[in-house]
Amino acid sequence: MPVLELRHVTKRFGGLTAVDDVTFGVEEGELLGIAGPNGSGKSTLFNVVTGIPFGASSGEILFDGKPITRMVSHRIARLGLARTFQKDAEYPDLTAKETIALAAIYGRGLNRRAAAEAAETQLEAAGIGCARAGMLTTALSVYERKQLMIASALVMQPKVLMLDEPASGLTRPEIAALNAHLVKINKGGVTILLIEHVLSLLLSLAERLIVLNQGAVLAEGDPQEVIRDERVIEAYLGGRSA
Amino acid sequence: METLLATFVSGLVLAALYALMASGLSLIWTTIGVFNFAHGALMMVGAFVAWTVSEVGGFGLWPGLIAGVATTTVLGVIIEYLLIRPFYGQRNMVLITVMTTLAAMIILEKSAQIIWGARLKQLPRMIEGDISISGAVISAHEALIVVLAPLILIALWQFTNRTPVGRSLRAVGQNQEAAALLGINVPLTFALAFGLGAALAGLTGVLLGGIRFITPSLGSEPLIKAMIVVIFGGLGSLGATVGAALVIGMAEAFLVLTLGLYWTPFAIFLGLIAVLVLRPNGLFGRS
Repeated sequence: MPVLELRHVTKRFGGLTAVDDVTFGVEEGELLGIAGPNGSGKSTLFNVVTGIPFGASSGEILFDGKPITRMVSHRIARLGLARTFQKDAEYPDLTAKETIALAAIYGRGLNRRAAAEAAETQLEAAGIGCARAGMLTTALSVYERKQLMIASALVMQPKVLMLDEPASGLTRPEIAALNAHLVKINKGGVTILLIEHVLSLLLSLAERLIVLNQGAVLAEGDPQEVIRDERVIEAYLGGRSA
Repeated sequence: METLLATFVSGLVLAALYALMASGLSLIWTTIGVFNFAHGALMMVGAFVAWTVSEVGGFGLWPGLIAGVATTTVLGVIIEYLLIRPFYGQRNMVLITVMTTLAAMIILEKSAQIIWGARLKQLPRMIEGDISISGAVISAHEALIVVLAPLILIALWQFTNRTPVGRSLRAVGQNQEAAALLGINVPLTFALAFGLGAALAGLTGVLLGGIRFITPSLGSEPLIKAMIVVIFGGLGSLGATVGAALVIGMAEAFLVLTLGLYWTPFAIFLGLIAVLVLRPNGLFGRS
């Protein structure tokens, strides 16, 4: 049984269909890549699944066999479906440690002491040292802020982690470090859905790739085969042959 | 020298009151992004309920204080649920909630007129007598306000900065969508912020009721003062609001001494506009 399943999910904004009848499932432990040109509906798909800031117009979403289509977002997070944003989700007046501890308290139900310990563990795993743990999130580097988002999600011990362009704005060494970190997370048993424009990262990580175009699934399958698909090349390059 | 000291003490009393008035308003703004125009009316309700319990019911001032604060807390949660919550996420939410909270203000004021009538009422002072500080005399009740205000504000600061619930208020205020991802129940947090802000309004109303007559319009002038303080401070942290309250309280006291009562509001508004021209994010606000 897939840990996450989308059945004919559609999201409309007036006359615009941003997500168009999308159906797919994600198996437990899988690392699924999601690609597509700008405006193809990738982030909207994540929004619809997590209910932030809006749910689906129609269709059904199942998490661990339970319907979550109409569920409020904080409940979805508490169930074990975590995500990160394309933009840095920073809190100008909270420190890195406070942010992760909040997720441990509200997302996982830990008490303050246990949450503080869990936050320290995650900060260490994310490569944010003790000295920087007490800094405001705005004072962290782009890489650290990305890692902070992932750490905030991981402290809730999610079954599924949805990552929206975690490599955007990162340098090559940082992308390599992120790559290693994501492999470790996935090997730890966390199912990952990864939206990424950095193709090298996506192809090195994804076991399966879904390409969206104009809100609909254009191609799905082995990443190396999918990127050679004529329709995918056309969608990315606008009709020219590669 | 004696006059200057008396003016300084008067400024302190004003600053303490303004800080209390503005702290609830600021808390609601920073968490929800709504300017609660019913804040002053909630102060008035708090004072009236306290007066009813303590004077009409004969239960004494402290039960009255508790009843006043409890009533405004519940009213705050109801206002949030009925008049704010339906508009979350709407693009023009700030404008809509200006109208809905103004409606709440009018409903509360008219209801108070029907329930308690137009006759002036006053709460007994929490402490009777006067206190003389090097010749500057203030009532013991006003001295209590000067002592209580910092304690309440410190407790509020501790709550928002040192407790998980308080931090969740800050997280929601800074990034609602990301806060939901941390598992925080955002609508519940909004209700909590509104209830807490309303409780502070009720408490301020009870304290005010010991030095001013209680009428249905008791909260009108404090509302304007609270708004000036919050905007002047920079629509931000509690510290900014307290700082602004201190500046405005002192400025008002010394302006009354130098310019007189008539020109003081004009000078304060002129100062507010000048600060906003030079610092659009307020005196202590961040860009």
